[in-house]
Amino acid sequence: MDSQTDAHTGVNYAEDQVHVKTKLRLSSGIAGFAEDKDYARKLRQEKILPLLARGGELVLDFSLVKYATQSFVHALIGEALKKYGEPVLERIEFQHCTPQLQSVIELVVDYSLGGFPAHADTQQKAG
Amino acid sequence: MPKLVVPNSVTLHNARAFLASNRPFAGRGKTATLQLHPRWAHLDPMALSMIAAWGAWCRRSGFRVTVQNLGRHAHYAARMKLFQHLGVDFDPHIAAREEAGRFLPVTQVANRSALTGVIGDISALLHMDSEPDGLAAVQYCVSELIRNVLEHSGSPDGAFVCAHRYTKKKPHRVTIAVADCGQGVAAHLGRAHPEALADDAIALGLAMRPGVTGAVPGLYGTTDNAGAGLFITRSIAKGTGGYFLFYSGHAAYRLRRTKSAAKQIVLYLDALDEPRRDLWRFEAPWEGTVVVVEIRTDRIADFQGFFQWIRKQMPTRASTTRRIKFT
Repeated sequence: MDSQTDAHTGVNYAEDQVHVKTKLRLSSGIAGFAEDKDYARKLRQEKILPLLARGGELVLDFSLVKYATQSFVHALIGEALKKYGEPVLERIEFQHCTPQLQSVIELVVDYSLGGFPAHADTQQKAG
Repeated sequence: MPKLVVPNSVTLHNARAFLASNRPFAGRGKTATLQLHPRWAHLDPMALSMIAAWGAWCRRSGFRVTVQNLGRHAHYAARMKLFQHLGVDFDPHIAAREEAGRFLPVTQVANRSALTGVIGDISALLHMDSEPDGLAAVQYCVSELIRNVLEHSGSPDGAFVCAHRYTKKKPHRVTIAVADCGQGVAAHLGRAHPEALADDAIALGLAMRPGVTGAVPGLYGTTDNAGAGLFITRSIAKGTGGYFLFYSGHAAYRLRRTKSAAKQIVLYLDALDEPRRDLWRFEAPWEGTVVVVEIRTDRIADFQGFFQWIRKQMPTRASTTRRIKFT
């Protein structure tokens, strides 16, 4: 994997439990354009989900990325949002996002948590 | 024998006649024929990518492709490397003019590493270095459309992509076409949505809806597919007032170009609700899928604005945005 996983950037103590924030710095993709879903899937399966399962906190560092596809962001965080719901947003920090990236992340979070609107009958319209 | 007849002009604007008049996958024999117009050949990326995909299908099906009326008027198609994909040796001896070369020639993308190469080359090929948001929109569409082919079409040949940036005449735009001869939309969606198998037009409508995937139906799509890629690609075309064409099996959908900002601002989640759409049915099928996107580069200065615009169509969750931690 060509991602760089940085070490702990912060330690919080709450009662007896230690919450460690782990930073994952995403690779730049193609000159700052991130679209490689295979890379996103691997990061999700090998880093993000195991970390969240342990109760950890995550910092996704997008400092090398300027644009990303919705598919890339979905492959990265969609399963975590589905599995843990809205509370997981308290444990994920999106760092150094461009306005363009922010808008894509907001879109993915919105539909992952809220779903897509229902539609009228396509069969009727296609007829 | 399989035959594809190309009239003097095939563009997004007059696509219907070309799509309706051909039966490219019918017939037997040892050869397949591409018949060009004897004097004129005005082809846009849609026609070029379709012909290349069809040529690959012919060759893998055991047909040798021959071209009728091949002459100097086919120089643009030659420059776009169409004939290389057909296995036809043709060199019109016309020097390439670098200053006009704002195009991605017909390119076969059979795997993910080839896709990475195409996306990396687009900036230089279309001369879009000084337009980062426009370039991102083009890269976005190319990535989503080709990944759809690689992940869902089952085509042994992969995708054939072609793009051209038009800067001399208005509207200034980039046209991107991706074609394959895979299983088609209905067969792919039909596993999860059986109603798609009944009518290709229904299949197209479903495929353009956000949240519909060919994998497992559900609120979120699957862990790797939300079923939103084609919807967002259509939205980019719509938001800039460009054409969008989607063709598979016996049906084709086209969203028409508009000059009116008021008409492009309303985004219909269901593509079949669009007032400026055409829905055609053809006797002979396209055995695979074709998607063409036209991006008006003079209207895409704000990439993030497109996603904010799309978000407004989604159900409101006021708390969510506040809780996303951007630092």
